[in-house]
Amino acid sequence: MATEAQLILTSDVSGDPTNVDTGLIPLYKAGNENELDQTTGLGRVHLRSTTNKVLFAANAEGNDLAAKVYIINKSDDASLYVTVTINAQTIGKLYGGDFMFIPWSQTDTSANIEVAATNWTSSTGDIPVEYALFHEDTDYLTNA
Amino acid sequence: MATTTAQLILTSTDLLSDSLSLSAIATLTQTGTNTGITETTGLTRKKVTSTAKGTTSGQITLYTADDFAAIPYLYVKNLDTTPGNKIFIYDGTTSGSPLQFQLDANDWAFIPMHGDKTYKAYATTNPTSIEFMVLGKDQ
Repeated sequence: MATEAQLILTSDVSGDPTNVDTGLIPLYKAGNENELDQTTGLGRVHLRSTTNKVLFAANAEGNDLAAKVYIINKSDDASLYVTVTINAQTIGKLYGGDFMFIPWSQTDTSANIEVAATNWTSSTGDIPVEYALFHEDTDYLTNA
Repeated sequence: MATTTAQLILTSTDLLSDSLSLSAIATLTQTGTNTGITETTGLTRKKVTSTAKGTTSGQITLYTADDFAAIPYLYVKNLDTTPGNKIFIYDGTTSGSPLQFQLDANDWAFIPMHGDKTYKAYATTNPTSIEFMVLGKDQ
């Protein structure tokens, strides 16, 4: 039994309601159908910094190997968001309740995944974030 | 009002000693509010025929910068079933580190985007089928 991921998207925005279901898809290593066999487990941090913090540190071995990243903003406040960057490029913004699930390409050692509680202030309260990494590179060490 | 939800399910019974059973459900709303999103590109399926970034044809544009008000939600899936037949999603430029992520066969991604970058796709193999959709608030 592999580790599997499934996305179900439903929407009645258009006249033809959307109901996308990927089904449970195994998380495989790059270029083959061997299962990803390592994980950070599910972690949780409370962000209280508007500057970027390294959530996952890239390493050279990870280039072209498979890695899947899950990050969710667990805040109940829809206005509080977490900025997610790779290689200093903003790739996502997670408002309260939003999640992302993407393959992570560790193209070089600068491809860290970093997060920031961009609109955090001392009066907003911390932004709880949960995260997990499933990967195949053996050199990976978390910096979270 | 329209309602749009995304649910992620992650499961494993043997990766760890403790079985993994995670479910996250997000209601997709307009930026910073509890108001549901109102627009979508619809679910699209195309063939990527370009095998390099920056080519004049054969790439697929998934999203054009600032087309939607932040935050546009992107769903994208590589429909190819042969391992190693990858699709590369990049920010439409050819300098710096434009690669956002790469999808191996059957891989999919879901991400609330920043929205200010154009996303294009090329593949290792011509052709490779891709499915994608953007949901959000048009501007």
